[in-house]
Amino acid sequence: MEHETKEPGAHAPIQTNNLTIPVAIVIAGALIAGAVYLGTSKGAPTTAGNNQQPQQVAQQTGSLDEMRTISKDDHIRGNPDAPVKIVEYSDPECPFCKRFHDTMKQVMDEYGNDGKVAWVYRNFPLDQLHQKARNESTAIECAGDIGGNDKFWAYADRLYEVTPSNDGLDPAELPKIAQYVGLDVGKFNACLTSGKFTKHIEDDVQNAVATGGNGTPWSIVVAANGKKYPLSGAQPYASVKQLIDLALQEK
Amino acid sequence: MYALIALVTSAVVFAFAVWFPNISLIVEIMGHPGISFSQKLDLPISLLGSIATNFTLLSASYTIAIALLFGVNLAMTIYFLRRKISEVRQSGVATGFIGLASGVLGMGCAACGSLLLTSGLSLVGASGILAFLPLAGGEFGILGVILLLASIYLIAKQIQNPAICKI
Repeated sequence: MEHETKEPGAHAPIQTNNLTIPVAIVIAGALIAGAVYLGTSKGAPTTAGNNQQPQQVAQQTGSLDEMRTISKDDHIRGNPDAPVKIVEYSDPECPFCKRFHDTMKQVMDEYGNDGKVAWVYRNFPLDQLHQKARNESTAIECAGDIGGNDKFWAYADRLYEVTPSNDGLDPAELPKIAQYVGLDVGKFNACLTSGKFTKHIEDDVQNAVATGGNGTPWSIVVAANGKKYPLSGAQPYASVKQLIDLALQEK
Repeated sequence: MYALIALVTSAVVFAFAVWFPNISLIVEIMGHPGISFSQKLDLPISLLGSIATNFTLLSASYTIAIALLFGVNLAMTIYFLRRKISEVRQSGVATGFIGLASGVLGMGCAACGSLLLTSGLSLVGASGILAFLPLAGGEFGILGVILLLASIYLIAKQIQNPAICKI
């Protein structure tokens, strides 16, 4: 049997090859570090509604402190004076928002009845991903405008229940939902096309971006002392519950 | 030992991917002086459950696959280095890291809006590209899985063929 031994001269290129691993590790590390930095940085909004100006604002000032103060103009479910408030920025066509809507209803079942937690809903339609979302956000606002706070939540609950998400809801369903929750359909349709809430919804979107929202659902848990905790995505009920309990501890 | 390395690495990569959208929250909770140690642990542990609530079936699948494959990849690489098979071509190792990097790009796709991909793209003013990607960035996760599989194949091939003595 013939044996072939490695050539001594092969050592030089071997040294060059040895650099492959460290270089690859450094590149991968840099990419991951960049990923963490970009992913957690205050800028970088993802909504299509954001033009150049708001992007720059967000990159400079994006922080939880930018959250618009909760006021009587907000849509609040539960006790408006609750020690803990969860401000949710939501997209009606986002499947994770649909899931998180149920999680929040569960939160209100446990903490809402005794007034410990209030749920504040704000609009964050991601036009880039869901072209129908902004119109549906308008529909929810119109429901509140015509029927008050209870109808706002009834409409939102029904919309999130029936939509298949990802632009799957037929716009013809919107007046049907209005009828389902007991609204005047004529007034609802007029409101929907009036443009009355265009600025309000855009203000919500820009506020979400300014607080650091990169996607939906984007929530901010606000404690009685003003301490704010960010919560990104449709997190499990257990996580939301733990965050609420931590916020309730804040004095 | 190598199985342990693979397991620990996979767990770390998986946790990173799942925690990624809420890294800032976790950091804040960990550094909060008024929160007990057990509470500090509870939140990150419960957030691991978001693999079921905050990922699509596709993104959860490739996130888990990338974590497992990267663990195996790293364990094989270490085995490789310990045997000092320095003369073999190391393209497989490089492919593995590129695969992880690609996977990381797709990992941010928790919730609506790929956190990482769109963050990076928005900096170069090209976030609209997501609208043209059928999987809205999930393509990078799938690419990561493919590259990691290729890497493992290449490394395994080199290990089986040490190239010290050709017979």
